[in-house]
Amino acid sequence: MSDEQVYEPKVVAFLCKWCSSAGSDLAGVSRIQYPANATPIQVMCTGGVSPMYVLSALRKGADGVLVSGCHPGDCHYIEGNYLARRKLHLVKELLEFVGIEPNRFRMSWVSAAEGGKFAQVVRDFVEDLRPLGPQDKVKADRS
Amino acid sequence: MTNKRTGVFVCHCGTNIAATVDVKKVAETMALEGTVAYSADYVYMCSDPGQNAVIQAIKDNQLDSVIVSCCSPNLHEGTFRNNAIRAGINEFTCEIANIREQCSWVHKDRAAATEKAIKIVRSAARRVVRNQSLDSIAIPVTRRALVIGGGIAGIQAALDMANAGLDVVLVEKLATIGGHMLQLSETFPTLDCAQCVLSPKMVEVSRHPKVKLMTYSEVQEVSGSMGNFKVKILKKPTYIDTEACKICDDCSVVCPVVVPNEYDLGLTSRRAIYIPFAQAIPASYVLDENACLGLHPIRCGKCKDVCEVGAINYDMLPQVVTEEFGAIIVATGFDLYPQEKILEYGAGNVPDVLDGLQFERLCSASGATQGHVLRPSDKKEPKEVVFIQCVGSRDPAQHCAYCSKICCMYTAKHAQLYKHHVPDGRAYIFYIDIRSGGKGYEEFVQRTMENDGAVYLRGRVSKLHRTKDGKVRVMGTDTLTGQNVEIDADMVVLALAMQPSKGTEEIAKILKIGRDKDGFLAEAHPKLRPVESVTGGIFLAGAAQGPKDIPETVAQASAAAAKAIILLSQPMLSRSPTIARVRNSHCTGCEMCVDACPYVAIRLENGKAVVNEVLCEGCGACSATCVRAAIEVKNLSLAQVNDMIEAVMTV
Amino acid sequence: MINLKDIRDTARDMLTKGEVRAVIGWQQGSRGMAAEPVVITAPEQADSLVWNPTCYHNLSLYLVNDKKAQAHSKQKPTLPIAIIAKGCDARSTVVLMQENYFRRDEVYIIGVSCEGTGVVDEHKLAVALQGAQPTAAAFEGEDYVLTLADGSEKRLSAREVMADRCLECREPFPKENNLVLGEDKTGRSLEAPFAALARFEQKSEAERWDFWKHQFERCIRCFACRSVCPMCFCDECVVDSIEMKVVPATTAQEKADRVRWIERSATTADNFGYHMTRAMHLAGRCIDCGECERVCPVNIPLRLLNNKMEREARERFGYEPGASIGASSLVASFRDDDPNAFIR
Ligand code: SF4
Ligand code: SF4
Ligand code: FES
Repeated sequence: MSDEQVYEPKVVAFLCKWCSSAGSDLAGVSRIQYPANATPIQVMCTGGVSPMYVLSALRKGADGVLVSGCHPGDCHYIEGNYLARRKLHLVKELLEFVGIEPNRFRMSWVSAAEGGKFAQVVRDFVEDLRPLGPQDKVKADRS
Repeated sequence: MTNKRTGVFVCHCGTNIAATVDVKKVAETMALEGTVAYSADYVYMCSDPGQNAVIQAIKDNQLDSVIVSCCSPNLHEGTFRNNAIRAGINEFTCEIANIREQCSWVHKDRAAATEKAIKIVRSAARRVVRNQSLDSIAIPVTRRALVIGGGIAGIQAALDMANAGLDVVLVEKLATIGGHMLQLSETFPTLDCAQCVLSPKMVEVSRHPKVKLMTYSEVQEVSGSMGNFKVKILKKPTYIDTEACKICDDCSVVCPVVVPNEYDLGLTSRRAIYIPFAQAIPASYVLDENACLGLHPIRCGKCKDVCEVGAINYDMLPQVVTEEFGAIIVATGFDLYPQEKILEYGAGNVPDVLDGLQFERLCSASGATQGHVLRPSDKKEPKEVVFIQCVGSRDPAQHCAYCSKICCMYTAKHAQLYKHHVPDGRAYIFYIDIRSGGKGYEEFVQRTMENDGAVYLRGRVSKLHRTKDGKVRVMGTDTLTGQNVEIDADMVVLALAMQPSKGTEEIAKILKIGRDKDGFLAEAHPKLRPVESVTGGIFLAGAAQGPKDIPETVAQASAAAAKAIILLSQPMLSRSPTIARVRNSHCTGCEMCVDACPYVAIRLENGKAVVNEVLCEGCGACSATCVRAAIEVKNLSLAQVNDMIEAVMTV
Repeated sequence: MINLKDIRDTARDMLTKGEVRAVIGWQQGSRGMAAEPVVITAPEQADSLVWNPTCYHNLSLYLVNDKKAQAHSKQKPTLPIAIIAKGCDARSTVVLMQENYFRRDEVYIIGVSCEGTGVVDEHKLAVALQGAQPTAAAFEGEDYVLTLADGSEKRLSAREVMADRCLECREPFPKENNLVLGEDKTGRSLEAPFAALARFEQKSEAERWDFWKHQFERCIRCFACRSVCPMCFCDECVVDSIEMKVVPATTAQEKADRVRWIERSATTADNFGYHMTRAMHLAGRCIDCGECERVCPVNIPLRLLNNKMEREARERFGYEPGASIGASSLVASFRDDDPNAFIR
């Protein structure tokens, strides 16, 4: 990367298949543009997102991690997102506690009908990440 | 692992993908992956030659797994998994990398989009390395169907399925089936009487040996999944023995309580013990427990005293029955957008400003005025009537953004009906534009203008209020002439927007099916799967899915019924085998997964977790909860996700 | 005040009557004043049991060890095993039972109340004694009485030299017990629970990271924390598998599917991964016995991490670790009104 190039944060986005990935598809169908920084990994449900995924992504050098699922009450698997909310709240608190910037981890509820919201979530996240610069606090050196 | 032979097929989707993503570069980059034995791009992977090329490449190169990078897996996962089978490899070794909806369509920068596409495809390729060959799980099917909602949609769906030989339970919340159609006077564009069309169907469904009617009942809880749902239904007490009731009307005559009649939208009243309307099905009175003085002989007891057949039972209790079904059709219908929310038109407080359904009741021979159009305030025949279209519809700023679709037509019908009742009256219609697509619809509107002389005024009504002499002053603009228009009307009829019925939100929650941004039930695919919900085995019919008129509703109901019939005619259903598996050596039997599983799919056997493959939906909640990595979902294991993260982070 | 004789009598009695097969307790250590864990199986060994301010070990770890030993022996014991348990030992025993590690009837809990004090912090004691060598320590009301190498006695207010976890302890009484010795002083307030945590949270984000970066740099990954933790009873740790658990049933696929979430090397990033994971995996399970922090050879303040999770559990989710055998685990349950504001 040359110096003039703007820094592009790398985001891993865990999207549940039924709402957020579908919402992301809808953003596509509606041709709503948003930055290419976030690479989606489709999971069945946010309830299946292990805290290890978040930690692993950071360790592998992600500048930000996004977990997005169905709105409360709408999870395709009834209550997966409630379990996720509790678990990932703990992850978020823990990361902040040790001094990782709060904006490095984000969670959102994006329904299958919210293509626009999905795009906005990514846009906002990327914008919030930019000023933080590359995440090298807990990135493992790979030689 | 290194002896893996994956094939990567990158689709251009014409220019849909290729315009933004350098598909050649994606294919070339993927060819460098150690496990990728074949990598190619093609203009339309899903076309016949495209599919054949995939099959041929699998055979020629002894591929054992396939990544197709194309559109969303919702569209073509099935297609390409079938190709995998045709090429002789296991369908679950084929995965889709979505580089269209989630990449090429949402980015403009070619370099960035290409880089992202590579990450997406690479992560899929790394994932598939650990995919196992799996066999679908076969489960038996319960050959019974549940229909929720007893309007025309529910009735039609129930009849179609029953006639195909399925056992059907039709659940209706109110005391009679029939729904809103029953309230209509005549229907467009033929002006045939709604009840004359509907009543025979109501009778047919009630007498059908394969249909069990459950009126005054509500669905409370649904568990299980496609092919085998378990449903708890609450039967509310009517306090009347339906079979015994002779509908003699002795009881309601003596009942001292008078409340507005909802069937006539408050234009008439009824007693606490009443029959919703004369041809109600089931043909029986009901006792409205909220209006009744106390359901006790000491408090009142008048009706019980006079009922000769002893049909009244104050001690009737709510009952909960559990039934099993293989398929569910949701037909919970619509409500009108509440007039209270239309502040500019008096929020429902200006007398003689009616909604469309009230006007239907005014016109109906069975209505409050026996079919004479008399305005409610003084029972005089209105000589000037203003009809306002698009009230609450097409107004994203304040009300509903969508078009309610039927209002243009029913307003034209209202104007005709009015003119037929009051030939010397004047009908004014405020409209934004006229949408009359449908057989005979445009001609119908033309007749309203030409034969019946309704005055169409293009424009919005800005406000209305009651004048001193008891008229309703309507102030609007005719946008065609640019003139302000003021009409002192005797009556105003608002074509209020259609919205999903009140119970729809709750039923959607109970069934775990999605709703769209307007609250209507969401279909699985807007074009190709318009009567299916996102959840397998649950189908949609009628206005709960979106505004529609009667013929469309009936058509959709039959379509939903056909889908259910197709589903239930299979002897066995196959379920996805991508369910949880336990690593016995790591499981300590702590039961955290048991508590986390939303489907009660895990139990402990000899101190180890065991997954019930019929119940498990493969959501992964267990896996994210287990601190020992002892349980994970097949083909999306912890190791696979970890590899995917790695792939995404590789530049 | 607990009379040591009562502890010994109870143990002797139970072993004599054959009610339990062993008693897990503390005995005088072989070096210095510190006690050490012991498992006694004969009535006559009861007299070796001690109860003093150096009984800091969480003895539920030995219940875990006992269970592991059973896995290798053909005979399954019929009698329960007794454990002498402080408040914290009893709470972790509850968590172990909550997770089905053993059944309630497999354990006999002889509770001992810490009453107005708790166990000693050897670092604080060394400072207070200014170099003098203690050879024995005893409870005396709210004080500790220390016997020094020269034979003299020194009385110290326990609060001065007590372990932080005991100062902050909200439940110095083993609620879950079959029999309990000493008074229930639950609710005594020596220092507010989570006081150190609250102090730490005053720091800015940059200060917090500097602090933890320093800690993560120093961790030598000796796994002492994990070895001493009763909750870390897994045979193979997700984070860093020293031993790969392989049983005859282990398939090749299972072996291949093992995830290396972090590397073995003690780098900052990998140490971060290890400690974050450990904190997450202890959320709702850690009952703050503080043993990990005590045994850490490089003095990483591990309690801060675990306390953080515990306070979240209590305050945000109304979840009390180690309170109920029947409760669902923290992360396997939820409430409709769990915090949602952090989600966009
Ligand atoms: S959570 Fe993990 S260890 Fe506990 S029972 Fe389930 S699979 Fe076994
Ligand atoms: S994946 Fe796990 S939690 Fe989800 S349904 Fe299956 S067993 Fe239950
Ligand atoms: S399926 Fe979307 S969060 Fe559970």
